[in-house]
Amino acid sequence: METLNFLLQGFAVALTPENLMFAAIGAILGTVIGALPGLGPANGVAILIPLAFSLGLPASSALILLTSVYAGAMYGGRISSILLNIPGDEPAMMTCLDGYPMALKGRAAEALAISAIASFIGSLLATIGLVILAPILAKFALRFGPAEYFALFTLAFATLGGITGKNQVKTVVAACLGLMIATVGVDITTGNQRYTYDILELYEGVDFIIAIVGLFAISELLFFIEMHAGEGFKKVSLNKLNLSMKDIIQVLPTSLRGSVLGFIAGVLPGAGASLGSFLSYTMEKKVVGKSGYFGEGDPRGVAAPEAGNNAAANGALVPMLTLGVPGSGTTAVLLAMLISLNIQPGPMLFTQNAELVWGVIAALFVGNLILLLLNIPMIGIFVKLLSIPPKYLMPVVTLVASVGIFAISNSPLDLYFMIGFGLLGYLLRKLHIPLVPVILGMLLGPEMEKSLRHALTISDGDWSILWSSGLSVGIWAVAITGLVLPYLIGPVLRRRMAAAQDKDHSIVD
Amino acid sequence: MIGDRILGVVLLLLAVVYGWEAAMFPEPFGGSEAVGPETFPLILAVILGLSSIYLLVRPDEDEEWPHMKMLAELGFVLMVLAVFTLMLQPVGFIPATTLMVSVLCWRMGAKPLPSVFTGVGSAVVVYVLFNFLLELHLPAGLLKLSGG
Repeated sequence: METLNFLLQGFAVALTPENLMFAAIGAILGTVIGALPGLGPANGVAILIPLAFSLGLPASSALILLTSVYAGAMYGGRISSILLNIPGDEPAMMTCLDGYPMALKGRAAEALAISAIASFIGSLLATIGLVILAPILAKFALRFGPAEYFALFTLAFATLGGITGKNQVKTVVAACLGLMIATVGVDITTGNQRYTYDILELYEGVDFIIAIVGLFAISELLFFIEMHAGEGFKKVSLNKLNLSMKDIIQVLPTSLRGSVLGFIAGVLPGAGASLGSFLSYTMEKKVVGKSGYFGEGDPRGVAAPEAGNNAAANGALVPMLTLGVPGSGTTAVLLAMLISLNIQPGPMLFTQNAELVWGVIAALFVGNLILLLLNIPMIGIFVKLLSIPPKYLMPVVTLVASVGIFAISNSPLDLYFMIGFGLLGYLLRKLHIPLVPVILGMLLGPEMEKSLRHALTISDGDWSILWSSGLSVGIWAVAITGLVLPYLIGPVLRRRMAAAQDKDHSIVD
Repeated sequence: MIGDRILGVVLLLLAVVYGWEAAMFPEPFGGSEAVGPETFPLILAVILGLSSIYLLVRPDEDEEWPHMKMLAELGFVLMVLAVFTLMLQPVGFIPATTLMVSVLCWRMGAKPLPSVFTGVGSAVVVYVLFNFLLELHLPAGLLKLSGG
């Protein structure tokens, strides 16, 4: 009952004309960002953060704008999967399997419409799940002391590589690099300078927004140039939409199953949207059995992964908002947004900033509806955008990113830092060092160190406090499992995902 | 193989230097505590050191690295971005942006004329959008001097 009250208040925030406008702008921008190959959700949100920041938007409006971008990017990712057979972002990979064959059969418009409906259902159910689960988890998290938080931060890094992660040591290396960058600057507790080398600009530390934009956007530009991907890709043309009620009813149970599975995958650490869509697709194939024609353009093969990845994307907001521990790259970028607005996520968020957090949750409902309305009649416009060749698009995106960074403090030095991080991002990606743990390290570093200090001050220097409560032992156990498990079952899962892809290609060829 | 080995050596050096510096931090004012400013960095240095040794012993397969020509190309792109930054305040936003976007379009494979067109177009649109609509002032540079 209390929750419902808060939610109503949230709608009062989200439904003001100004915030409705931001939700709509965010939804459109997000769909565009998701649709364009190579400009994934994390990248898109990262570029927009400095802009939202330097415009001086109120916290709730800025967050509504960016969460709508996030939701929109999840919708947009499917457009290039279906029309180009190239996923706009990683979670949209599974949508290629049946979406592209459907488009080849001249049913591209139906595939897009079905995926929009499935996305809507996935997001809607997962947002309801978020409303129910988040306050419970927040209440539970109030029992966490500094020792538990330290363990929880470790868990976030340990599971970030995901079950399908290839080389866990590289995730550890990436996390260390991020945490090390976070230690640069004046130490808050003692006032000691650390790694500043008497450079004034380093006293406040390295701004993580600059790092995020450099690592994602600039390194992406370098990759596009290296791959000679300036010309764009050949796409399947769009037919006239011919969708009956029967088609929609056929995919309803699929969407429901996919949503539940996706939501669970989103909430759990280390699973994320990619695994969510993969699980939904494989389960659907098993449930439907012989009567399905998966891989050859079965509409249910489009609905399942789309419901799954949208539900997972919203599910991932649960740990991010209640614990301050994001489970994916994009939620990490949203966390960066919160921290730069001076809002510390965690259990207290739901009591101290109730209006804000419920406003954002209400905005998820509103944004989702806007997205559905946008995506069915206006799909033609988004499809047209796919024909903009990257050779014109990427330079303009780079420009927007640079302007955003420059606008933060009108300092050219920030831009040099951005370029430097771009080079670093390129090198790390070439060496298969994941970028998300680097960013997460920069974001969580200060809090992680603070909880370590806090815990050891309480125990008067006794390190065993870190694993003295049942709760913290449990968290450590999950963290260690998360780090070791990929070695055991990762190869099997990866093989299966690759097999599913290969089968798809053999049909296309 | 070689990529990860080089990475391992670089990271090991980084870990040693980073840890060494942490150990050299002056004692904070008011005496040392259980956890000083050096504790957390020292933990990181140890973890990074161990991980880098693992990379040295068991490196992954290499990604294909671009040839010299492509490396020069990528270096050129980074240089274009640096020149843009250098020009931004003294010369102004519009000329700097025109130059950067045009050159990047051209290097990504567009023909010269459409490249320049995209450059000028995006520079003017972003400038107008920021200065007049969003009221974020971008450096006018020379444009301001000549316009009085």
